Amino acid sequence: MKSEEFGVIHEDEKERASGCYVMSLVAVMIGLPMPIINLVATGIFYLMSRKGTYFVRWNSIQALVSQVPLFVMNNILFWWTIRILFCFTELSSVYIAYFITVNLYNIYDFVETVRSAVSTRKGKVHEWYLYGTITDMICKR
Amino acid sequence: MEQQKVDMFMMMNNKYFPESQIPYIRERLLAGDENREGLLHSLQFKDPTISLILSLMCGALGIDRFYIGDTGLGIGKLITCGGFGIWAIIDWFLIMGSTREKNLERLMSVI
Repeated sequence: MKSEEFGVIHEDEKERASGCYVMSLVAVMIGLPMPIINLVATGIFYLMSRKGTYFVRWNSIQALVSQVPLFVMNNILFWWTIRILFCFTELSSVYIAYFITVNLYNIYDFVETVRSAVSTRKGKVHEWYLYGTITDMICKR
Repeated sequence: MEQQKVDMFMMMNNKYFPESQIPYIRERLLAGDENREGLLHSLQFKDPTISLILSLMCGALGIDRFYIGDTGLGIGKLITCGGFGIWAIIDWFLIMGSTREKNLERLMSVI
């Protein structure tokens, strides 16, 4: 945890930073058949928060970074499923294994997003494994 | 301006402004001109809660953006049907902050 690095965090900053995680959850739920929607939504949210404080920017970048692998994995699964449904390819054990992996990853992402939204609302920083480090490298003070 | 009047103003209107900016607004009001007081009281601020309700009810039509005075963005949102739904979702979480920023801009143009 590195909450001290962000200095004094005001209530509206906490609200906005927490909002970016909640928004990504809502975007995933609403745009579930089309995985691009959650990536676009978090991307736009980041663009709108670019002039915000370091705390807000850091959290919106982490939300955006976390959506990139999710987008890639869900997209592959979506088109693979479409190909199976329209009989372009056959159902295989590789597909089932991939389906389970993607579902497990989606559950992990959901849990982490909820944890981030809750801790950010309290003014704490929840660093995700790997994504936190990437965010540190991307986000400038 | 007198401290008592500033305190009264802040007490009545602090929900309309970003919390992080309240000490700055207070400072500016205290250092402000007495003659501007009438103008200050005639200002009408937009309620962030109403803008959120508008965003939830008719965000796809851009009514929330029209309400806070972002006519250009409102038209953009109306034409694209809430940015194909994506912009409307984003605005659920941003509109309250944007309303407070707009109120701050309005106040700063007077003091």
